[in-house]
Amino acid sequence: MSRKAVLSLLLAGAVAIGVTRLISASDHKDSMLLAGDPAADIADVYTFSSPTNPANTVLAMTVSGFIPPSEASTTFFDPNVLYQWKIDNNGDAVEDLVIQAFVTGTGGHQVMHFRGPAAPSDIGATDRIIDGAETATVAVSNTPTPVVASRNGMTVFAGVRDDPFFFDLVQFKHIIAGEATSFRSPGIDTFAGTNVLAIVVELPSSQLGNSKLGVWGTTSRPQL
Amino acid sequence: MTRIAKLAALAVVGALLGCQSPYAPRDIAMSVLMNKTLQQEDRFGLPAIATVFIPTTLKDAYNLGSPSGDVANFKSLIVAKLMAFGQDAASANALASALAPDIQPVDLSQPSAFLNGRKPADDVITGELHLIFGSNAALNDDHVDANDTPFLTTFPYLAGPHVQ
Repeated sequence: MSRKAVLSLLLAGAVAIGVTRLISASDHKDSMLLAGDPAADIADVYTFSSPTNPANTVLAMTVSGFIPPSEASTTFFDPNVLYQWKIDNNGDAVEDLVIQAFVTGTGGHQVMHFRGPAAPSDIGATDRIIDGAETATVAVSNTPTPVVASRNGMTVFAGVRDDPFFFDLVQFKHIIAGEATSFRSPGIDTFAGTNVLAIVVELPSSQLGNSKLGVWGTTSRPQL
Repeated sequence: MTRIAKLAALAVVGALLGCQSPYAPRDIAMSVLMNKTLQQEDRFGLPAIATVFIPTTLKDAYNLGSPSGDVANFKSLIVAKLMAFGQDAASANALASALAPDIQPVDLSQPSAFLNGRKPADDVITGELHLIFGSNAALNDDHVDANDTPFLTTFPYLAGPHVQ
């Protein structure tokens, strides 16, 4: 189940508990079935000031949720997917800058390439790889030791990590199924012991054009 | 040294550098994405919330859409659902304004903490449960307050994978 589906389920369930008549059961099932394409399925996006350098900002995106330990070293990014952070720096909800990431290579020999931050050539849901040289590249990490690279002021990582998300999804499902009336305390993290594919960049905040930003992540594929 | 020898020497040095450096070759000619028109497949701003307020029939349109269209296309739906859930018009409008457009706002001049950006350690689910269930203690906290594995204090901050 995708992260978005999990959270849709959460909120749908929450609404269903309060106002059952407003939400059909099929909404839940539809949400749960939206997994489909894990490599392009964004699990989470994070934006935060760097804990190690107050002049820097960290952007992280996770995809391909629920990778079991047995598949940690054999789950890879999709070379047909463009991963992007889109950044609005003037408050109009339109991207002014993008940071793009895409892999080349297969199996355990993938390389993640980064471009930007730079103005995109296309605005909105149609995207192209922006012109110019790559800001940074890094070998994709398939083991617990992260491979990290820095170039042009940007530090980058791509590879398998522990899923940073935490939630007692199992108990929540019991609640919305009418099998429980409250969360348990302590709860049990359904995501404990599972992995995701993560892309992390740290860069000077000055490259983002403003201190007040709106950030979102996207995945795109070539048009058929 | 002959030209061929020089080239051979350069190749050896390059190969050695390639083996020892985390930097990958800069040749990106192999990317299948170059010079292609790409279509958005998924987007993610705030950790969820907005997705549930979008009717099933509009979910594809939402995933394929852009934040700049969210207020026009989806805010009234969010307000309606929040009001149906029992919120008054003012609070429903205020919350809907925070959810649309579906963007993760951050003011880097202030400490990062959800909803000012989002740190990995932020307990976003409990925050959202509080939003929905208010003071209902049975449902407003899942009592999972932290990740199963400590986050790193240095880049890339996310904890290492679970492996066999």
